[in-house]
Amino acid sequence: MIILNADKMTKRFGGLVAIQELDVSIQESSIHSIIGPNGAGKTTFFNCVTGFYRPESGRITFSGHNIGGLTPDRVVKLGIARTYQNIRLFPNLTALENIMVGLHPHLNAGFFGIVMGLPSTRHEEVEAAREAEKLLNFVYLEGKGDLLAKNLPYGDQRRLEIARAMAAHPKLLLLDEPTAGMNPRETQEMMDFIRHLRDQLGITILLIEHQMRVVMGISEIVTVLDYGKKIAEGTPEEIKSNPTVIEAYLGRGSAAEAH
Amino acid sequence: MTIIKSFWDHGIKVGLIGAVTALLLSLIGMVEAFSQRDIIAGIISMGHTLLVVVVIFMGYISAKQTSASRSGWPLVNSMISGLIIAGSLVLLLFLGRWINLRSIFINASPTLYNLLTFDFGIENGWIFLLISGACCGILAGVLHYTYSPVRRVLIVSFSGVTITGVLQDLIRPTLSAWGPLAAVSDRIFLGNGLSISGALALGLMIAFILIFWGKKGDSFKHHYRNLPAGRQKTVRIAAFVFLIAILLTLPQILGLFLSEVLTIVGLYILLGLGLNIVVGYAGLLDLGYVAFFAIGAYVTAILTSPELGFFSFTFWQALPFAIILGLLSGIVLGIPVLKMRGDYLAIATLGFGEIIRILVLSDFLRPWLGGAQGIGKIPKAAIAGYEFATPQQIYYLILAGCALVVFISLRLRDSRLGRAWKAMREDEDVAQAMGINLVYTKLLAFATGAGFSALSGAIFSSKLSSVYPHSFNVMISINILCLIIVGGMGNIPGVIVGAAALVGLPELLREFAEYRLLVYGAALVAMMLLRPEGLWPEALHRRELHDDQSSAADVETSSESHAGV
Repeated sequence: MIILNADKMTKRFGGLVAIQELDVSIQESSIHSIIGPNGAGKTTFFNCVTGFYRPESGRITFSGHNIGGLTPDRVVKLGIARTYQNIRLFPNLTALENIMVGLHPHLNAGFFGIVMGLPSTRHEEVEAAREAEKLLNFVYLEGKGDLLAKNLPYGDQRRLEIARAMAAHPKLLLLDEPTAGMNPRETQEMMDFIRHLRDQLGITILLIEHQMRVVMGISEIVTVLDYGKKIAEGTPEEIKSNPTVIEAYLGRGSAAEAH
Repeated sequence: MTIIKSFWDHGIKVGLIGAVTALLLSLIGMVEAFSQRDIIAGIISMGHTLLVVVVIFMGYISAKQTSASRSGWPLVNSMISGLIIAGSLVLLLFLGRWINLRSIFINASPTLYNLLTFDFGIENGWIFLLISGACCGILAGVLHYTYSPVRRVLIVSFSGVTITGVLQDLIRPTLSAWGPLAAVSDRIFLGNGLSISGALALGLMIAFILIFWGKKGDSFKHHYRNLPAGRQKTVRIAAFVFLIAILLTLPQILGLFLSEVLTIVGLYILLGLGLNIVVGYAGLLDLGYVAFFAIGAYVTAILTSPELGFFSFTFWQALPFAIILGLLSGIVLGIPVLKMRGDYLAIATLGFGEIIRILVLSDFLRPWLGGAQGIGKIPKAAIAGYEFATPQQIYYLILAGCALVVFISLRLRDSRLGRAWKAMREDEDVAQAMGINLVYTKLLAFATGAGFSALSGAIFSSKLSSVYPHSFNVMISINILCLIIVGGMGNIPGVIVGAAALVGLPELLREFAEYRLLVYGAALVAMMLLRPEGLWPEALHRRELHDDQSSAADVETSSESHAGV
C-alpha cells in the first residue's frame, strides 16, 4: 500500500527549479532512500512534504489526504515527523522536555485547565512524562533526561532528535542524513537502530543519505534525484548497476565509496 | 621582556582601565554625592568606598591575570594598578588647581578635592592618596594569595558591612521599632554611619555565620535529603508558612516609607512576571509592554473616576474589564507582528507602546481620556469597608496580585503551554513542525503577559488615585526588561530579585536616583560579562553557562529546585 505519493510536484525558488515534476511513491512499512548529488533537491522534497515549503504545482497525498500547502503543525498531526540535516533540537531544553514538546499534538490541556490544575490535566502531564521517559529509553538515553540537549554528545543528539520525532506517533518518519558526521561504529549502530524502528514499530522510513554503505545496506527502494528530477528508482542492486546513476552521481567521485 | 610585558598587560593596562573608571565616577559627581552617607561614621564615606571597591577589584584582576610562575609578581602588578588609579586622581587634583575644570566638569568641586585628599589639602593629601591607592592594591594582591574559602569569607564580610552601611536608612528604623533591638541599633550605628566597633562586630558575625554554614550547611542539606518524603514535605510546608507569615507582617515591621517602596517593587514584580512570559518563556522581545500597563490603568480610571462621570464602578467591578481589555489589546498587538522576529518585533512593539501613550495624550481623545491632565479622583479599592488607602494597606492588595500571578506563572511554566513557549523561543520553525500552532501560542503569550500588566496598571491607578500619560513612557518598558535580564531571564524568583535590585534599591538610595540610568547600564554590562544567566537563574541555565561544575551536582540542584517548587 502506498502511504505517501507525490504527483508531478514542482518547487521553484525564483528562476531556480529545485524540484521538477517529481513523481515518488513510498510503500507503507518500507525503508526508502532518496539519494543524489548536493543540490539535487532532496531536502527541498522533505520540506515540501512536511509543509515548510509550498510546492507550486502537483499533488502530495499522505494516506489519502492532500497535504500540499498544509502548515507544518497540521502535517505532523496527520502522522509525518522528521529530523534535520543539521540537528535542530531545542538546545536549552532538557532531553526529556525535547521529547515532551514532540508529544504536544497528543496533549489537550488548555490554559484554564493548566491554571486550575484540573485532574485530567495533571493525569495527562504524568502520562506524557512517562511516555517521554519510555522513548528516551528506546533511543538508549536512560538517565540522561535531565541534561540539556546541547550538552549531549553528537550521536545522542541524533537519536534524541529521532525520539522527539517519534513522540508525534508518526506513520512516516523522514530522516535527513541521520549518519552525517558519524564514525563507522556509530553509523552501524544508527543503521541497526533504523531497522529496529521499522521492524518493531512498523514506521515507514524515508531517508536522505550520502553514505552509500548505509543506503545500500538498509534501503529496500532507492530513488535518485539529479537537478530536481528523478533519474532512477529501484532496489539497491538495480541502482548500483544503473548507467545513468553512475554517470550522474557515482561517477562524480563517490564511486570509490560505493564499494 | 616577558617581565615588561606582564607589567604592561596586567599592571598598567588594568590600572588605566581602573583610572578611567575612578575619574569618571569622580567627575560625574557620584563620589561626592555618595559621600554624604558614611559607611563607618566619620572615617569612611560611601564615596570613598566606591573608589576603594574600584581599586580592589582592578587590583584583584591584575593579580589574577599575572602568571604565578614568578612569585611576588601578582602582588607587584596589583600594587601598580592601585598606584595608577590613585595617580590618576592625583593628576586630577593638580590639574584642578591650575585650571578651572568646572567650566567643563561641574562636579570637579572643592568638595570633591577635599574628599580625595581626606581634608589634608592638596600639598599633603596627594601623598596620602597615593599611599592609600598602593595599600588597596596590595590588599587586593594579598586577597589573591589567600586560600579561596578564606577569601570568600573576607569578601562577603566586607560586602556585608558595606551593604549594611549603604542600607542604614532601611535597617535602622526597622531595628529601632523593635524594643530590644533598638539598643543593638544604637550600638552598631553612630551618626550617619556604622560605628567602628559595630562594623567590626558585624564583619566578625558574618564571617562566623559563613564559616559555620560552610561546615554545617552540607550536613543540613544531607540531613534534609535523608528525611522520608512525608517529613520533607512537612519541612517545606513549615518554610512556606513561615515565608507567608513574614510577607504578611512585613508592612508593620518596615513602616510607612519602606512599605511604599515595597508597593512600587510589587507593581514591577507584576509587570516583570508578565513580560517574563512574553520574553523569558516565549522569546518574543516586546518593547511596548508599558502600553498594557497604561491600558489597565486607564480602563480602571475611566470606569471608576467620578471626574469623568461616565461610570461609577468600584475598583473590583472595574478590575475584570481592565484585565480583559488588557488581554484583548495583547491579542490586537500580537496579530500584526505574528510574522516578525527579533529586532523587527522589538521595533514594531516599541511603536505600539508609543501609539498608546500619544493617543492618551492627544487632544482628540481628551474628553474621554483627560489628555495631559490625566484622570483624577480614582477611588481606592475596598473590601467590606476595609479600604486599601495607605501604602501599608495597598501592599496587601499588591501581595495578593503577586501571589496570583506567581501561581499562574508556575502552573504555566511546567505545562504543555510553557513547553510550547520555550520550544518556540529556541526554534520557531521546528516548534511548528512539532505540531505547535504558532498563531495561537504566540497570541496566548502576548495576551497572558498583557493581562498581568493590565492587572498591575489597575492597582497602580487605584494606588495613585490618578493617572497621567507621562507615567507610561518607554522607560518603564526598558526598566522591566532590564530587571528580568538582571534577575534571570525566564525564572520567577529571578524576576523578584531583579525588581528588588533595580527598582527597590534606587528608591532606598536617593543618591542613586540621579545616576539610575548609568547604574542600569553598568549593571547590564557587568551582568553580561560576569553572570550572563542573571542573579537568580533557572537551574538549567546556570548549568549551561557555567558547565565547569560537575554535572552530577547540577542534576541534584535542578531536581532539588523542582522539588522546592
